[in-house]
Parts: sequence; structure tokens; C-alpha cells
Amino acid sequence: MRKTNADGKSWLISQAELEAWLDSISNARSLIAPRQVSGTVLYRPVSKINEIAWPGGRPGKSSASPRPVLSVKEIFFPPTERLFKIQKTGQEIHLEEAYPDWETVVFGVRPCDSRGVKILDALFLDTNPVDSFYARRRANTTIIGFACKEMGPTCFCTSVGGAPDDAQDVDIMLYETEAGYLAEAVTERGRFLIPAGEWRETTNSPETSITIEQFPVPENGKWPEHFNDTYWTRMSERCLSCRACAYVCPTCHCFAIRDELIGPGEFDRIRCWDSCAGANYRRLAGGHRGRPEKAERLRNRFFCKFYYYAEQTGLGNTSACTGCGRCIDVCPVGVDITEVLQDLERPA
Amino acid sequence: MNANPLMPTLGRLVEVRDLATEIKLLRVEMQNGGGADFQNFQPGQFVFVSAFGLGEAPFGIANAAGRGPLVDFAVARLGSVTTGLHELDVGDQLGVRGPLGNSFPMAKFKGRNLVVLGGGIGGAPLRPVIQHVLDHRGDYGKLTILWAARQPSLLIFTDEYAEWQAAPDTELHLTVDKPEDGWGHSVGLITQLLEKVSPSTRNTTAVTCGPPVMIRNVTRMLAGMGFAPEDSYVTLEARMHCGLGKCGRCNLGEKLVCVDGPVFSMAEVGNLLESY
Repeated sequence: MRKTNADGKSWLISQAELEAWLDSISNARSLIAPRQVSGTVLYRPVSKINEIAWPGGRPGKSSASPRPVLSVKEIFFPPTERLFKIQKTGQEIHLEEAYPDWETVVFGVRPCDSRGVKILDALFLDTNPVDSFYARRRANTTIIGFACKEMGPTCFCTSVGGAPDDAQDVDIMLYETEAGYLAEAVTERGRFLIPAGEWRETTNSPETSITIEQFPVPENGKWPEHFNDTYWTRMSERCLSCRACAYVCPTCHCFAIRDELIGPGEFDRIRCWDSCAGANYRRLAGGHRGRPEKAERLRNRFFCKFYYYAEQTGLGNTSACTGCGRCIDVCPVGVDITEVLQDLERPA
Repeated sequence: MNANPLMPTLGRLVEVRDLATEIKLLRVEMQNGGGADFQNFQPGQFVFVSAFGLGEAPFGIANAAGRGPLVDFAVARLGSVTTGLHELDVGDQLGVRGPLGNSFPMAKFKGRNLVVLGGGIGGAPLRPVIQHVLDHRGDYGKLTILWAARQPSLLIFTDEYAEWQAAPDTELHLTVDKPEDGWGHSVGLITQLLEKVSPSTRNTTAVTCGPPVMIRNVTRMLAGMGFAPEDSYVTLEARMHCGLGKCGRCNLGEKLVCVDGPVFSMAEVGNLLESY
């Protein structure tokens, strides 16, 4: 079922109009869109419109592009980011902050990804203290969503409360039509970006996306009873603790902070993505290692996603999983989150 | 726009004391007093300390705010940041972020007897509790300190034992696993000392900090002696990178040690899904 907060304003545009619009956006702001990078699709800055890997394809020129390998999380919470610069001169220290303060528009964001941003908001924006870097990126960025006509082979957004045409968490939503696109202004910010005078307004509703059958996911309150299941040991036997699942996840948010040498007496304090799967993730000074077993670490990721995170951020009975399926695609040993969720629902 | 909560405040190292083998007490004067937060930090709170160029790490504040304008913390040389902190000279600038986390409910402890159990450098975050009680001696009942280390050369704050023992209604019991010549106190683990001292549970709260294995065994023994979970407090150590509830590293089940703790009663953490 399509969900939207839009006030009903929609427009019908052609591929040419979409391209002209994105081109004008890229002249005044930083435009980020899915793009081929060494054979992989990623959200990256584009300077020319023909660099875009079109999510729905380009009529007569290219076919639909798969969803980016990394989620849109990296635009708001980059894999590595500088927190401040450090200058050491003798006994004296000088610290200097530099914030990402430029207007950005991200095009082609799938509903699972925009939902991921909403989930990260609960921690970085809505739980004190506000993360000043994330907050600035969020405040400076407009999200142009792109509805999925159908779900991909590893997608399961509908089972975790999402939908392939869920427009709740974007500023503008684009739906594919026979002749081009239907553009819907969802937020005031989105409305501001639309060249309303140039586009043909419509009262049409977008076509409903094709969904696959949902499967039941254990409710938050059901998770504690599975904590001591031997299942986690069995499931973790093949886990390599490689952390790839966390890096591609739209909502995994763990990070590490460290200092990096830049030049003589000059350092950057940086933060970078990290993951609870790592064996030394919880190693204490002195050598005590928390969560030494792979099973404990694998379990923590699932519990965080479906129980802890909602408890910590006050999200209520919801999960931090958006059903994008990236962790399934990327796992080298076939740990499948949908299999785990269905196993837990099965009577013991 | 919001200020950067990961930005440290600068301070200057004004005094370094050797506390024990490879353990130093660093005393820092915060620039401009460190702002409002640093005027009134509470026993049990912690700070992130930066050795710039090497990184930052969390340390329990080792002094009571009422004892003067400095922030104290004990550093055992164990990794790159702690080595960097050991190598700082008096007069060097360093970064301090905080104070962070919750604190011991000293107001709730008023009128009660306290048993303070510190193991190794785990005693450092308990020193503010001891100092606070000594500085407000009339507000609290009997203070029994059980202090332990692997060997005498690893006992911390030895030069303050005389002050503690001289205070009214205050006892100090020492133990080490491996005694050296001339050791005139108990020998063995802190649990053995606890058994020997066998404090009454009447109107008494226990406060424990030390390595994870010590906390586990001591809290279990206290429970066996009849200390209710509500009357048995711990302050937990956890690997952290932000101290603000964001980086995800320090969770014990759904609790985050950095913002829900580091001080917990056993009523809060005794039955957690995940053990510390």
C-alpha cells in the first residue's frame, strides 16, 4: 500500500524534463546520484547528467540500474569523516572545526534507503546530544526519492513495515509512468525545488508497485526469549565476522574515533564506520574481551536491529531494518537475515 | 546550529604523580574552568581524555569536585593513548571531554553505611566517593574500604591511606594476591577479604569497581551475604568511543554503559540479558 504525506501536488514529466531539471540543480548545488564506479553502483557526486546510473533506466539508451551497493547512509554519515583538525606546537594545542555546509540534493533514493535515514534520525537528531555533523548534512540535503516498480530478489521491505513506493521519508518522490515520471512534492523543502510553472500538473495517482508476499517478523517484545537460543551458535558457525553486512546496512551506525597524522604536528580527529561483529570491538585495556564468541556478536547485531535500537531511541515497536536486502547480497557465506527472522518465528 | 559534542575542551597538565607501577595520576586544570559542567562533576562520572595525535579514551574522574578546581584521573600504561598520556610533561595541553555518564546517588546514600570495594585501578573512580564521604562525614554512617591489588606495588593512592584511616568511623582493609617482604595486611583475593571483614548489611550500601571478573565475583558474594540488589552498586568499564550513546560500542543488552551508566545498581544490571 502506497504511503505518502504529500499534499496532493503532482506533475507529469518526461525523461528530458527530468534531465533538464537535474542539470539545473547540479549547477547551483551539489548533486548526488547513483553512478557507476568501477563496475559498482554507488551514490556519488555527478557533474554531468549522463554520469547518472538511472534507477529506472534511460528509454532507448540504458536499462534500469540496480540499487547502489552502499546505502544512502554514507551521504549523511560518511564512512570516514573529520571531526576537527589538531595542530600541535610545542606544549600548545590548537583545534579547528570545519563543517560540511553546502546545499546537496540526492537523486534516486529508494524508499528503503530514505526509511533508513529516518531511523538514523532517531539516534543522531532526536536523541540528545544532537550529532552536529549529521544534523548539518540533514539540514542541507534534499532527498529525491525513486519508487521501485517492483521488489528485487532479496528485497523484503514490506515485511518490516516499508513499501517499494513508500514516500513518507523523502522530499520529492518520482514514480515511473509509461511516458516518463510522476513527480510528487512530499515536503515543503521538496516543493521549493520543483519548477512548478514549467511542469504539467496532474491529478493522476501513480501506479501501485508490485509487492511480494510478506513474512512475519518477531515483535520487539519477543526477542528476549530468543537470547539464549543455541540457534545463534549454529547460525554463526559460518560467519566470518567480516563486517560487510554492517557497512552496507542503511541503519548500522557504530563508529570508531581515532587520530590520523596529516603532517608534522598536524592531525585529523576522524570517525569511521565500525561494526559489532569485530572480534576486538569490545576489547578493554588490559585484555578483557567482551563478547568473545562469534555467536554473541552475530546475535548482538540482530538484537540491536530488532530490539535494542528501538528501546534506546524510543522508536517503539518497530525495527531498525528497512528490508533492503543488501546484507543478504553482500554476505560471503550466505547468512540470510530473512531466513533468521523466519526461523525465529517458527515454533521450536 | 548545534555545537560539536565530540569536541574536547583544552586543559593543561599541572601535576603528575606516580600512583603505582605504570600507573600515574594526571591532574588537569581546565581552560576557563572547563565551562559550567566542570564546576560540579559528580562522583562516578567519567571523561574522555585526548592525547592529541594518538586519540582519546575514557577515564573515571578520580577526585571529588569539592576538592579544588582540578580534574584528576588515573592512567595505567596499557596502550597507545595511555602511553601518550604517560609521556606528557607538566605544562602540556591535553583535551578533556565531559563530564559524562551518571553518578553515584550520594544523596540517596546519606545516613547509610557504605562498603567501598576497589580492585586495582578500578579503585580510581571510587576515590571521589571516599573523598565526598570524608568531606561530608556527618552525612554518612560507617565507611568501610576494601582495597585490593595483585601486588603491593600496584596499590593506588597509598599516600592517602593515612587520611582515610584517620577519619572518624572509617576502616581501611588491604589485600594483595602476591605479597612482598614486609607486607603486614591480608593476602588473597578481595572476595576472601570480604568474607573476613563480613560487613553487616544493615542500613548499608556496597559500591564496587574493579576488573570484570572481580565485579562478577564480589557482587555475587555480596548478594549471598544478604545485600539487596538495590543496595549493591557497581561502576562498569566498557570500551567506548563517544561516551554519548551514539557509537554503539558499550551496550549491555539494551543498556548503554555510557549514558545509562557507568553507575548501576545490581537491580538494574543483575538480570540483564547480557552480562558485563
